[in-house]
Amino acid sequence: MNGQARALIDSMPDQIATVASSLSFDEAFTLHHRAVFRTARAVVRDAGLAEDITQEVFLRLFRNQDATPGEELLRPWLLRVTLNVARNTIRGQSRSLVRDTVYSQDNCETSWKAPEEEYERRLDIEAARRALEKIKEPMRSCLLLKQQGLSYREIALTLTLKETNVGSLVARGRKQFARVYGKIGGVR
Amino acid sequence: MKGCLNEGILQSYLDGELSLEKMESTGAHLASCLNCRLAARELENDGLLLAEALQPQFSLSVPTDRLRHRIDAAISQQRLLNPPRPELVAGSSRSTVYRLFRRLAEVLCLSPQRTFGYASLAAIVLFAISFMLLRLGAAPAALDGIAAVVVAPVSVSIAGPDATGPVNASVNPTPTIDNSKSGAIGRRVAYRAKPTNVAPANDQVESAHAKLLPGERSYIKTIAELDTSLRSDGNLAMRPALQSEYERNLAMLDRAIAATRNAAKSNPNNPDAAEFMYAAYQTKVDFLNQIADSRLVNPRR
Repeated sequence: MNGQARALIDSMPDQIATVASSLSFDEAFTLHHRAVFRTARAVVRDAGLAEDITQEVFLRLFRNQDATPGEELLRPWLLRVTLNVARNTIRGQSRSLVRDTVYSQDNCETSWKAPEEEYERRLDIEAARRALEKIKEPMRSCLLLKQQGLSYREIALTLTLKETNVGSLVARGRKQFARVYGKIGGVR
Repeated sequence: MKGCLNEGILQSYLDGELSLEKMESTGAHLASCLNCRLAARELENDGLLLAEALQPQFSLSVPTDRLRHRIDAAISQQRLLNPPRPELVAGSSRSTVYRLFRRLAEVLCLSPQRTFGYASLAAIVLFAISFMLLRLGAAPAALDGIAAVVVAPVSVSIAGPDATGPVNASVNPTPTIDNSKSGAIGRRVAYRAKPTNVAPANDQVESAHAKLLPGERSYIKTIAELDTSLRSDGNLAMRPALQSEYERNLAMLDRAIAATRNAAKSNPNNPDAAEFMYAAYQTKVDFLNQIADSRLVNPRR
């Protein structure tokens, strides 16, 4: 009994510290995990790998909580790490998107849709991905980040670009995308 | 139209990323320039197309719960592997006290080892002294070896060539046992008997060491006393070769003392540094004692 009580007291401060130190971490996760996951998935084209990458990115955030930038710069930091980890992952293994197809079959919340609709949707996704792949860096990353609502400044910080160049990169990237996407047959 | 806008500026305008001034000027230009208006519309359409094309991909579900679960598991695993760093638990007072205790315990755990270290050092010094006395019979050259033993831990290399030692031994085959005995006695007497009235040379020494470290005073007094007594005997009695040897040894010892003293001064909280300094002082006292003893035994030298 006494031993139990002592064990409880011993374990208490750690728990409190955990809660206190990970509050901001929780916020960071809640705010940014979507952007991290989507960016990772767009790069590696595999939801399972994107999960691995997201986990790695937030683990790094957790490890470097003292050294990571403030709230304003947190999203660029996270996405920068995400892009690095994702590119390293691709370099390590060239998996096809078979796994992702299986994954989205298993996990799609919209599985109530009619099979034909679902099939078309997947074709659309595939066409967009193929078109995006044709666009060179850093334009492709610019488009990806811009599409997730990052400001020019955040994009510039994430990709180490000049902020004044982001506008023309976005414009050129979109033009290229429209051209390639039209050729692939995304536009009907 | 002159001064038409490039696509970068137009894109920035559409994204609302320009400064207020530029926003206004760009808006004014667009109002008057058809080409730029068309270019801007094209950019807008491209943007819409991209958004539409990526929309299905971006609307794919994000497995928030599973991600949260995985990351929590990974974090707790990491916690298990390497316990939380001090910064993370800085808030809790219990852990601070606990850490303090642990540190204290570490120091206590270490201290027997340190004590053993000091003891062995002292043993080595004593052994070296008696060995040299037995072998060389009060030859001051032996002090080279002693100084080397004592000062080695503070990494002041003062070990000189000990070639003169054996030569001295062969020249002066003195009864060795008597010698070591008298040396020990002389040393003890010299160290314990602290004179109340200080010799003239003492003032000089003490003024040089304006700030004495604790425990240093007694050594300095003893050394000064021995020094004056040796001087009163007269250096003329020593052979020139031996004299220079003696001077060299003294200089070495002084250097060792100075080095250890500096170390002790710059690390006032380190007991080891002070210990080394005392050891160096003790060596000098021993050395002077030996000289005095050898004079007693071999007055002709």
